[in-house]
Amino acid sequence: MQTHRTFLTVVAGALWAGSLFAQTPAREQLVRGRTLWDQRLAKSAIAALEAAARDRTTAAEAHEMLGRIYMFKGWQQDNVFPGWHDEPSYRERALAELRAAVAADPARVSAQEALRVADGLAAAEKVDPAPPRDEVKALDAKLESYRNAASAPVTEILAAIDARAKAQADPAPYFSGAQLLIDRGELDRAIAMAERGAAVSDRFIDENLSAYQMSGKSQGSYARGRSSAADLIGWALFLKKDYKAAAAKLEEAERLSQSLDFANQIHLGELARAQNAPERAREHYLNALSLSGGPPPLRQRATQALSGMPRSTPDASFDAWLETELSRRRDERKAAALKSLVDRPLPKLTLTTVDGRPYDTSSLRGKVLLVNFFASW
Amino acid sequence: MPHLKTAYAKYQGDPTVAFLLISIDEDTARLQRYLTEMKFPFPVARAAAADTEQVMRFDNIPSTFYVDRDGIVRYQIGGNESHGDSPARVSWFIDQLKSR
Repeated sequence: MQTHRTFLTVVAGALWAGSLFAQTPAREQLVRGRTLWDQRLAKSAIAALEAAARDRTTAAEAHEMLGRIYMFKGWQQDNVFPGWHDEPSYRERALAELRAAVAADPARVSAQEALRVADGLAAAEKVDPAPPRDEVKALDAKLESYRNAASAPVTEILAAIDARAKAQADPAPYFSGAQLLIDRGELDRAIAMAERGAAVSDRFIDENLSAYQMSGKSQGSYARGRSSAADLIGWALFLKKDYKAAAAKLEEAERLSQSLDFANQIHLGELARAQNAPERAREHYLNALSLSGGPPPLRQRATQALSGMPRSTPDASFDAWLETELSRRRDERKAAALKSLVDRPLPKLTLTTVDGRPYDTSSLRGKVLLVNFFASW
Repeated sequence: MPHLKTAYAKYQGDPTVAFLLISIDEDTARLQRYLTEMKFPFPVARAAAADTEQVMRFDNIPSTFYVDRDGIVRYQIGGNESHGDSPARVSWFIDQLKSR
């Protein structure tokens, strides 16, 4: 009996010592992970907590902590620090960690609560808060159906545009309507329609300004609406053979779209061709084809137009030449986008007056500003 | 450069618009001579060339940046683009930003 008890004590002691040795580094990792996360050093915190999660004794706590970090990353970190944004890819991982925490210790109330919150967030995510209304969808479909109905009377089309515009105040029906009118040769009506579209676009953005989170986004949307309108108007003017006015509008659309609009580049190409400027036409067609998107028939037309034009290296095959030209443009665009300051804050520069004293820029704040860098040589 | 003076005439009395020229000249005397000759009606500042190229990330002189009220660059026109020779284009960019 006596020996037996001693044996048990020894075994118990060995177990205790064993778990003590295994537990200490794991617990250390857990504490370290929590401290690091308090400091918002996410990567190091996650590494420490992952180590702690591998140990049975700290698994529940570590999984819960990881779950909470991923919950924050997945749903809550938008703009907590300047430039931070939600990372939806973490949402599944948050749920998985919290489930693992509850599995490791089913009695752990804090883990259950966190899991409930995460489940709620995930469920809310799946609900479309504003699905397109059936009425708007039907009116859009009706408008679209006129694309292939050449005999439909213009008054009917105008009524369909109006009905869709009343149902929802975004500029889309005016722009697709203007295109329908252009297709039918109703050029003056198309111009008027596109002009209304531009005004409607500005108004729609003004009304929903706070929905555009970054100022760059609302500015981009203003420019998009105005660019669509200018391009449609320019194209209608081109078809009216008023090339001078068409050029002004199409070039305006090009500036607004920063040369990134497929249809606009095609239109500029057609205009250049009509004005007997094959070099300029070639540039625009190549620009267009180097952009993604654009309906296949238009892409084909542009390719065909290019194949009939003189090339810089006439000995290369057309396909090889085209591929070289397009990839050069794509590379240039990528490089320019990386260097461009457009839609970024004007960087701070150390300025002096002409005679070398510090230059005070405070009077420039809040103004529309033209900054020109020059050298007298 | 003369086109900037012409374009500026339209905004001279407008408190919501400002023009700023930044010279990257190193030779002060030469710059002074140039400014005396040009008589710009708007302020001219100076910046170190190397510093400017690094911070502004351009290698084109001249380069023009159109900045909105919030201090965000909205249009950037590099040196050899045929933008700026026309006062109408300059004011087109400014009017875009004024109307927002």
